[in-house]
Amino acid sequence: MSQQAPDIDGATENLTLVQAVRDGLQSEMRDDEDVLVMGEDVGKNGGVFRATDGLYEEFGEDRVIDTPLAEAGIVGTAIGMAAYGLKPVPEIQFLGFIYPAFDQIVSHAARLRTRSRGRFTAQMVIRAPYGGGIRAPEHHSESTEAMFAHQPGLKVQIPSTPYDAKGMLIAAIRDPDPVVFLEPKLIYRAFREEVPDESYEVPLGEAAVRREGSDISVFTWGAMTRPTMEAAEELAEEDGIDAEVVDLRSMSPLDKDTIVESFKKTGRAAVVHEAPKSGGLGGEIATIIQEEALMYQEAPVERITGFDTPFPLYALEDYYLPEPARIKKGIRDAVSF
Amino acid sequence: MVSDTNPHFEDVDAETVDELLEQMVRIRRFEEGVLDEFSEGSVPGFVHLCHGHEASHAGMGVAMQPDDWLAVGGSRLHGQYIVKGVPFDEIMAELFGKATGPNGGKGGSMHLADVDRHLYGHAATIGSGQNPAAGLALAQQMRETGNVVLSTIGDGGTSRGSFHTALVFAAAWNLPVVYIIENNGFAISYSTQQQVGIDSLADYGKPLNIPSYSIDGSDPVAVYETISEAITRAREGGGPTLVESRVTRLRGHFEGDKQAYRTEEEARESNAERDPVTNFQERVIEAGHITAEAYDALVDEIDDEVGAAIQFAKDSPDPAPSTAYEDVLRLPLYGQGEGDA
Repeated sequence: MSQQAPDIDGATENLTLVQAVRDGLQSEMRDDEDVLVMGEDVGKNGGVFRATDGLYEEFGEDRVIDTPLAEAGIVGTAIGMAAYGLKPVPEIQFLGFIYPAFDQIVSHAARLRTRSRGRFTAQMVIRAPYGGGIRAPEHHSESTEAMFAHQPGLKVQIPSTPYDAKGMLIAAIRDPDPVVFLEPKLIYRAFREEVPDESYEVPLGEAAVRREGSDISVFTWGAMTRPTMEAAEELAEEDGIDAEVVDLRSMSPLDKDTIVESFKKTGRAAVVHEAPKSGGLGGEIATIIQEEALMYQEAPVERITGFDTPFPLYALEDYYLPEPARIKKGIRDAVSF
Repeated sequence: MVSDTNPHFEDVDAETVDELLEQMVRIRRFEEGVLDEFSEGSVPGFVHLCHGHEASHAGMGVAMQPDDWLAVGGSRLHGQYIVKGVPFDEIMAELFGKATGPNGGKGGSMHLADVDRHLYGHAATIGSGQNPAAGLALAQQMRETGNVVLSTIGDGGTSRGSFHTALVFAAAWNLPVVYIIENNGFAISYSTQQQVGIDSLADYGKPLNIPSYSIDGSDPVAVYETISEAITRAREGGGPTLVESRVTRLRGHFEGDKQAYRTEEEARESNAERDPVTNFQERVIEAGHITAEAYDALVDEIDDEVGAAIQFAKDSPDPAPSTAYEDVLRLPLYGQGEGDA
């Protein structure tokens, strides 16, 4: 468990989350010539979200590779490169476009280590912007982290701050296992944070307590971290409810220790995620609490989530995504149970 | 010792003929051993035997160098493991699900992988392995290793989009990869003629200007020559090749397959006419390349090796329950303890 971004020595730059992603890629590509980037429009164009801006100019077409429009080919080719010992970082333009590559991820990347008795691993990071709030429906906005977290052999990571984005991405690139690295595009440019110029790792697999509290544990991640923090601050002021906010960061493996430790302290929990409720990670977190800390439990676990529908367009999006008012209601329900 | 009846013999040296023959017999005798053990109940799960594909596997295996990569595909895989140089003991142990197999008994018949021998493992979602093969080829190209990648697939798998995507990538980047379609006329029960609307599966390379060939995959010399040429082209920077190797499936899709989709007569006819092992055996003996006695001695020698492999597999331990969580992710998992994966 760690707190907010640690004290930073040395030079920093005030970066947005997407700039920090770019900074992390650049840093690792400078340090390790086996690291390379590939995907649709990542080269000359610098990526549709500018996450690879300037990398083509610095590293050239052999390490910043524009690919044909075929996700199975992007990820599948990267798997073969990783099997050989390169460290590809394929980009999927939007997470919802990943389905043609799902077979490659599940059938090859996630199983290479098992299939080869640990002698091959697919050391690769599949980056994809995900999540809603940008006024685009269906594939351009959905959150399917649970589909990947369900797959043994994958690690699924979601940063919610620029500092974490750079440090977690570097740690992911160095990790020997395949990592699905999901970037909350709603907050790609929502705020800035001081990010060290130098290379650093934020350890994978560890949740971060963003706000300490004693009345209820609220588990969230990605773009939902900010409205959850907002809700927690308002509840403290309006109702005197002291909520602990835990940014899980790692969807797989889940940081069970931090989840259970926080829950034992508060005895109540809510989970906030923008993915649909059924089969979402909220259910997994609630079950971990039941298994590990049943006797501490004082209320049902509230799930404040997206709906069990395809991701909607425009006006309906505002209902679909959890926002502070809905989050506050869920937390009040759990606390007043 | 060149037979007049065989136009191909004159093109390859005697040593290559020896190698082709030996590899074919090794595959057939190994599979006969597997069949016996499967019938006895010693081999768990199900098995797809290579009967009818031996010439295709042998021609490919003899054409490639040890450092070239093989990304296996389709369903008939044991022969491909054999020609890539994986010892009988290890393959048999993996088929038996034993700890001494290359995958530690977790892979079985279909998923054997051996990085030391540059054998990339197979996923049962056939038609998906061609993309990692393209990636391996891109890595060879980038690192200028001089090695090429061979990637096999059955006729059924060619209908999947990922296969065609792989061809697009290979053509776009001029990758050193040879895609080999082993067309045995059946995707389990569904005939190739019913599956696709083209005459030859090699035609799939044409729109991408990939050099494409359709050959008699029951003739090991034809396979050897075509794939050797493709490998040379790839090694010299000439890019990918697509080969349709037309073979016969002499047995069911899996052992126990009742084959309701083809008559016994049809199956018998294809056995008699296109059994590549007996055909090649007759050819080499007729050509005077090898005597009938020497051939029998070769079979006996290989049978002994198969018998020893079966014994090795039977004597090998099962994987320990404690290995269940091994090799899924690096352990320990971020300090959360082993076995918590």
